Amino acid sequence: MTVPVLELCSLDKSFGALAATRDVSFSVQPGEIHALIGPNGAGKTTLIQQIYGASAPDRGMVLLEGQNITSMAVPDRVRAGIGRSFQISNVLMDFTVLQNGIIAEQARLGQSFRFFHPAFEDSALIDGAYQILDRVGLTPRAGQKVSNLAHGERRMLELALALATSPSLLLLDEPMAGAGPEESQRMADIIDGLRGTMAILLIEHDMDAVFRLADRITVLVEGAVIASGTPHEISNHKAVKAAYLGSE
Amino acid sequence: MNRPSTVLALIISAMRANRLLWGLIAGFALFPILTYTADLPFWNDIAMRIMLLGMAAMGLNLVLGYGGMVSFGHAAFIGIGAYCVGISQFYGLTNGWAHLAISILACGVAGLIIGYLALRTTGIYFIMITLAFAQMLFFLFVSLESFGGDDGMSIDRADFLLVDLYDPHRLYFLIWLCLSFVALALMLIVRSRFGVTLAAIKSNESRIEAMGLFPLRYKMTAYVISAVICGIAGTLFASWQEYVSPDIMHWTRSGELMIIIILGGLGTIAGPLVGAIVFLLLEEILPIMLGSIAPAYAENWMIIFGPLLIMVVLFGRGGLTGLLARWEKAGRTGTRHENRP
Repeated sequence: MTVPVLELCSLDKSFGALAATRDVSFSVQPGEIHALIGPNGAGKTTLIQQIYGASAPDRGMVLLEGQNITSMAVPDRVRAGIGRSFQISNVLMDFTVLQNGIIAEQARLGQSFRFFHPAFEDSALIDGAYQILDRVGLTPRAGQKVSNLAHGERRMLELALALATSPSLLLLDEPMAGAGPEESQRMADIIDGLRGTMAILLIEHDMDAVFRLADRITVLVEGAVIASGTPHEISNHKAVKAAYLGSE
Repeated sequence: MNRPSTVLALIISAMRANRLLWGLIAGFALFPILTYTADLPFWNDIAMRIMLLGMAAMGLNLVLGYGGMVSFGHAAFIGIGAYCVGISQFYGLTNGWAHLAISILACGVAGLIIGYLALRTTGIYFIMITLAFAQMLFFLFVSLESFGGDDGMSIDRADFLLVDLYDPHRLYFLIWLCLSFVALALMLIVRSRFGVTLAAIKSNESRIEAMGLFPLRYKMTAYVISAVICGIAGTLFASWQEYVSPDIMHWTRSGELMIIIILGGLGTIAGPLVGAIVFLLLEEILPIMLGSIAPAYAENWMIIFGPLLIMVVLFGRGGLTGLLARWEKAGRTGTRHENRP
């Protein structure tokens, strides 16, 4: 039996009287694209935050490749193998695309704490940065300042930065949000291309993308898992239809 | 892997990118010739004050300009540096290098403690906590009667082994040497992997966390480096002034350092030095000018300085160095247009 990349064990989290996460348990298997869907306010982002380490669950456990990471800080979880893109593009706005890559590359190499080594002029770092950008096809835009990029390109850059650490689990929080149809298509192609190389937990509202990409789907409603299964099982699930898909 | 030749290449490329700074530092090296031939030794004194405050402002600029941490208490580190000299001499230790070592250690430890506590907060809370620590230290030294309390203590110019600092030019060049060293070190640091990570933290802390780095470690390190630089400036300040009192760490000096940086250009290497030159020259010249027009108001030179500062902040994005850079750029594109057939 293979160890799941991510295993959530009865996570609970409430903000005051609001139970944002209620007894959530599911697992993400190696190499699969696992979609997490649910209506607005279902607690998807709150759950991602607990997996990522930005907020702590009240009860329950988060296991990454069998290791308990529930009380680990965010940077330690990243080093343990979690990569993330955020709901709102989270890149280094004041820098160029290439500089974003260089900063990610030196972080990946564990060389960010060097005082007298050049950064933006170092050819080894520049080569590494181009490799990071190549994965999402941003190399032609390397010299551009990030603030000049189109929204979709920023999302691509963010994905590239998340991939730079070679994560075993990639958390994607609405990677297609706000993107045009072409950009969504490209993003979906890239995510599809990652299948099998790492486990991906995908939050997405675009149901066409979810059903195209996901190997398995977990449905969250009001903080609780109401169904988990293959796309085929989910699309025929009564409770899901009633609570979520039926409303569309 | 860090061969001497690559370090040299790094230094040369960094120097090329900061011509203004090295021009100014060369100017300070030549300045005593001018004052000697013109017989104006008083101006050496002003130049030393400029270099000392410029050095301290450079240190603060690492956290303020590059790291985006608005510390309103850096005068405390100047004070700690200065009191390290006074207190060492009180106990009979007269060696200047020892004073410098003690200052660096003391400011490093103080920076670590204050940074560790203050850097957990951001924004207005960070400003207030750094100010509060500086005020605590200010009143601590006011209350230390054995070290002069409110009145301070007088200091002999430290004994830097073979260097007799009572020759004014020796002190001048010791200060100049330290300024050059600090400028070179900072220039390399801001361009280094650490430096760009610090700037990236200022830009977006959560992305840096998502790269697996702990922002606090980088911010604390920068804070300690800047504290140590202010401590070095303070150590030399004590020798220059031959006197130290709690006044040296009054909160208005922290404000002065911030004004100098904003005036010269936040987050630039040359900015703090340019700011110190302009600020201290205006401090000398404005009262004289004002005094010749309206003698009763000579003390109130801030009336003129205030609006000037506001104009620089409003119109000179990036302070005076920003203005200079834009003029230079405009001049270059201007000539290019003229050259067109």
